[in-house]
Amino acid sequence: MPMPKGFKAENGYATTKQFAGGDDYRSIAEKMTKDGYKMNHATARNVFLSALQKIAKPVHNIHNIPTTGDKLLKTAKDPRFQIGVAEILNTINLRKK
Amino acid sequence: MASDLKTYFEAVGRTPLLTRQEEVELSKRIESGDQKARDRMIRANIRLAVSVAKKYSNKGCDLEDLIQESSLGLIKAVDRFDWRKGFKFSTYAYWWIKQSVRQHIAAQSGSIKLPAYARGTLFKMRQLAEEYEEEFGFAPTQQEIADLLGTSLNTLQSLIKSAKATVSLDGSAFQSDPDSNKSMHEMLVDDSLPDMDNEIDKNYLVNVVRDALTNLSPREETVLRLRFGISEVDLEGSSL
Repeated sequence: MPMPKGFKAENGYATTKQFAGGDDYRSIAEKMTKDGYKMNHATARNVFLSALQKIAKPVHNIHNIPTTGDKLLKTAKDPRFQIGVAEILNTINLRKK
Repeated sequence: MASDLKTYFEAVGRTPLLTRQEEVELSKRIESGDQKARDRMIRANIRLAVSVAKKYSNKGCDLEDLIQESSLGLIKAVDRFDWRKGFKFSTYAYWWIKQSVRQHIAAQSGSIKLPAYARGTLFKMRQLAEEYEEEFGFAPTQQEIADLLGTSLNTLQSLIKSAKATVSLDGSAFQSDPDSNKSMHEMLVDDSLPDMDNEIDKNYLVNVVRDALTNLSPREETVLRLRFGISEVDLEGSSL
């Protein structure tokens, strides 16, 4: 079997363990469906990544990185980016408090 | 070189050295309390004291002080020399002189005073490292030095740590410019404080993300919140 190569081999997957109190996609789908946004776990993941791509776009602009769909998706999936966004959102919350 | 010192060296050089026989005779007289014999023995060997002092003149002490210390070592050797053992006086005196000079250097250098055994070990360590490197072409490891000295690695490491040069926080930050107004404590980086550049970048990024959040639909906002574990209460009144 060949050695794993590529992005995920280097950076790993983003998991809920990385976000304290965060839900997995199935739980999110259940809660969202209860709140009137009918969705399954795959849709929850797509919506999550779509939100992150919207956040990634201005960040790409700052660093002069192309904002094509695949580039934004790659950033959105990057666990380091996700952790960074979670930290920033917490910072914003702390400031609001 | 100061002219006083030059005159001293000349005077020392004029004193004739003793033969083995003379050394024994003088030692016998010293034993019987002859002060003149003692003086002669000291004068005749002062060259040895000067030569040892010169060897250590690059250790940060004045040569005059080193000569004084080595002379004290020489006097000690004259008083303790036992001619019956059959050694030359210089062989015996050399160690007393060297010990006296080393003790003086150690007492003068550094603000942390180390016990004699520690200074001795450090000296041996440096000497051993030099010899090792000369022989094998590379420096020995600390473990090797510890083994050769018959001490533990922990002891050796703590000795090396204690012997490190200290710096005054109130001293000038620039050695090349002692009159500089900047002191060391003004120039040291405080790692406990956040880096200013990073903080500016972070604040900028926070603002960018905050703006981006306004573009999210309510559905995206809720999913993001659930996934990151940010409670609704936390986000009350925010644009997220």
